[in-house]
Amino acid sequence: MINFKINGTPVTAERGETIINVARREDIYIPTMCYIEKTSPCASCRLCSVEVEGLDGFVLACNTPPTEGINVITDSEVLETERTNIMRMYDVNHPLECGVCDKSGECDLQNKTLEFNVGQQQFAAKDQPRKIENWGLINYDPSLCILCEKCTHVCNEVIGDDALDLLFGGYNSKVIPKNSDVLDCTFCGECIAVCPVGALISSDFQYSANSWELSKVPATCAHCSAGCALEYEVKHAGVEAQGAESIYRVKNNFEYATLCGAGRFGFDYDNSATKDDEAFAKAVEAVSKAKAIRFSSMITNEEMMILKALKEKLGLKLFNRDARHMQLFMDAYASVSGTKHYSADLETLKESDAIIMVGTRIATDNPGVRYAMTTAARHNGAKVVYMHPLEDALLQNTVTQFVKYEVGTEEGVLALLAQTLIVDQELTQREQSFIDSLDEGYLSAETNVGDDELELMKKQFLRSKSKTLVIGSDILAHERVENIARLVALIEKYSDFNVLVVPSEANTLGVSLIADLDIDDHSENVVGYNAKGNFVISALEGADLAVPAFNQQEGTVVSIDKRVLPTNVALGFEGYTLNDIANALGVHAQNTVDYTSRLPQESGFKAVDFDDLENFYSDKGVDTRGYVLDDVTVKRGGYPEEVAELPEFNGAVIYHANPVLQFNAFTAQTKQLENDNNLYGSASFAAAARLSDGEAVTFVYAGETVRRVFKLDETLKGTVALHPTFDLGLNVRSDYRFETVNFKRESK
Amino acid sequence: MSLEQFKNRDVSDSGYYLVDIDAYPEKGFDKFKRIVARTFRGELFVGLWVVMREMIKFDIHTVQYPKEKLPVGPRYRAVHEMQRLWESGTERCIGCGLCEKICISDCIRMDTKIDENNRKVVSEYTINLGRCIFCGYCAEVCPELAIVHGGRYENTSEQRAHYTDYQDMLTPFDMALNGQVPEYPGFGAVTPHEDERVKSTPLAY
Repeated sequence: MINFKINGTPVTAERGETIINVARREDIYIPTMCYIEKTSPCASCRLCSVEVEGLDGFVLACNTPPTEGINVITDSEVLETERTNIMRMYDVNHPLECGVCDKSGECDLQNKTLEFNVGQQQFAAKDQPRKIENWGLINYDPSLCILCEKCTHVCNEVIGDDALDLLFGGYNSKVIPKNSDVLDCTFCGECIAVCPVGALISSDFQYSANSWELSKVPATCAHCSAGCALEYEVKHAGVEAQGAESIYRVKNNFEYATLCGAGRFGFDYDNSATKDDEAFAKAVEAVSKAKAIRFSSMITNEEMMILKALKEKLGLKLFNRDARHMQLFMDAYASVSGTKHYSADLETLKESDAIIMVGTRIATDNPGVRYAMTTAARHNGAKVVYMHPLEDALLQNTVTQFVKYEVGTEEGVLALLAQTLIVDQELTQREQSFIDSLDEGYLSAETNVGDDELELMKKQFLRSKSKTLVIGSDILAHERVENIARLVALIEKYSDFNVLVVPSEANTLGVSLIADLDIDDHSENVVGYNAKGNFVISALEGADLAVPAFNQQEGTVVSIDKRVLPTNVALGFEGYTLNDIANALGVHAQNTVDYTSRLPQESGFKAVDFDDLENFYSDKGVDTRGYVLDDVTVKRGGYPEEVAELPEFNGAVIYHANPVLQFNAFTAQTKQLENDNNLYGSASFAAAARLSDGEAVTFVYAGETVRRVFKLDETLKGTVALHPTFDLGLNVRSDYRFETVNFKRESK
Repeated sequence: MSLEQFKNRDVSDSGYYLVDIDAYPEKGFDKFKRIVARTFRGELFVGLWVVMREMIKFDIHTVQYPKEKLPVGPRYRAVHEMQRLWESGTERCIGCGLCEKICISDCIRMDTKIDENNRKVVSEYTINLGRCIFCGYCAEVCPELAIVHGGRYENTSEQRAHYTDYQDMLTPFDMALNGQVPEYPGFGAVTPHEDERVKSTPLAY
């Protein structure tokens, strides 16, 4: 604790805090142009200059930690002059195009220019020829750019793409793509969000609306389990569209949260329908006669409550593969750890300095986890060990050690990890004998994870204080998921690792906590709710009854943070909903959100009404969204079993992994996101599967024939190909994510 | 004349005098005499002669509306016009949306988009004249003198949709190019002495 004064008021700072952190916490205003909370200070604007009593000159509040006893002065005549001069410099030759600029009305430069009352240009500078760049989803106008460096800092420190750079050239400086002519990145669009002026802007949004016309709908992203906060910005759909509204763009609170490109650009998946009474009657009949309902995890907790009520009322079965896998994992995990929920969340991951990640291609599975990990790596120097059969080029700037294991041997890998990470602990006799009984030679040989690799990992973690083990969806869908879960829990129990499980879909965790799910026996007479079935109720095209998409519903989801997050209606929907069907079948509730307060408290939910849930970050960065699930203790009694014989995957193996920004059938139908559904493999895969670049193949996947074009990818290694599943419908991914397939060439 | 004079309620010495009016006839015969005098004084025929004379002269002062229309003052606020630039004939409207925002009867709506030259263009623009109250805010707020109030005050139609056509409001392209559109003096125009107020940007490089 450091005691000092700001403008004579005594304040205290924590270790590592800078003057501006303390000032903002204490509601003392210091103007900034380039400061952003989640990155290290850019220190390019110098607007946050403050005086320290007894010290000549100014210090920057953003990157100066206070020392004991100083008195900081944030406002004086000299500072006012200094700051006004900075603003005058910023305004030199800044194009006077506020009338058309998209940032007008929410522009930091506009605000500060007015704040410091800069009414005219007193300096001259020869204007430079500057070309507007079109980088796909992003447009960049260098003449509007004020070179605050927020974009480059965010891209490097939070996202991890490291795709933007500054070209230094005095007055001719500008932002350029790093080591490339065009922007080659994951297009998260965070640079657009942080840009204080209109220099970086979404090319789809540019010049289509003004900031003051858009009404903001706070919601939660539905594309993956990160549950990122976002705001849909809604306006009338145009002069011709009478009364209709559409989403113009998505924004996020970039100061404290991060959003990936799927959330930012993949917003137009809304469904439209009118009240079709005939289809509705058919749907009611289909549900009342159905044996089971198959559904995807892209539904709200409230819809899940309705399905549970229907199950109880009509004696249906509920099929949902990924949530069932999650249930199996969490139940087995809880039987060892004694808690129903895993221990870590994204905030603990951000603060970790040692991370092991097993069984996930995280950059495309869950960008939120990737960003938290990048932040940890850049800000805490976290050592990141990535264990997976496939290397990921997107993580090359973040991962410190890549450990490759053989496909299918996750159980062996976790057993080896348990053996390595659990040292000098008082284990129960049964647990100790399990650890002792592990045949390290066999496991090492089968998993292909060497002794030296594990030793190196241990060495890296020597000085680490806060450690996190990230478990991906490869493991959730593994045949031996229960034993792996027990091993994970054992590691958590007897080492200083926290565990973070990455649920595979948006609300997999919530669905798994609400009701017991049944084994999908592929029987006939199944109603599909946003999934395949004999009668399909879906927000996608070709449904027998159309229901609202996720951005047209209110309700809650449970994110990877174990947080119950509310989402709101961005666009209206005229047709019928699941609640209408339930009402017709005698499960009464006026609104779907009536179920929010009835969510099962034995799983950690609270009896809170939907309307009482907040959905924002406070101006000091406090996450007030929804609530965190209560900790639930369960009875222990599980013990890891002997490791089963590790399977071998030979021949042409494909790994079900979606390309960047694609997650599911909803993202597949958005107009901005690239729809790349090719099968990507390395040269050695091509040789093993005897495929050539550009060749079309068909194979059977999850009971259906899929046609894909094979493309060679230089960045890939090994004999596993990446197979996208996002465009095949919802909840189609079959059990384990690696699969041996027989390719059928198309006759030419 | 100052305001003081009007405020002075004392009428005794401010130049007021009584008008000399004959006494009202009391007796029946006096009344009869007055009627005869008024009837045969011939004043009636003075009036009739004026009408007769003007009819014969065919110099009619009546405005023959709707064949003939009186010019309206430049600050009159009638149906909007969308102006073009003099030299190029480009539409002046930049699509900033201020008119849409300021409109108190919410009758303006526009669609804008980015064109191939990375500029903002207006793809649709409508004013619902059925709702417009001709307050002039849109013309006043317009930073480009693009939307102005013209002089066309007749807006009767069978269809409300006829009130919303952008092309009717937009100055014809050829007229603008041929310089047939005078610099607009009307509502929303810059004031005449505006040049004196403009400060030049330093260009000392």
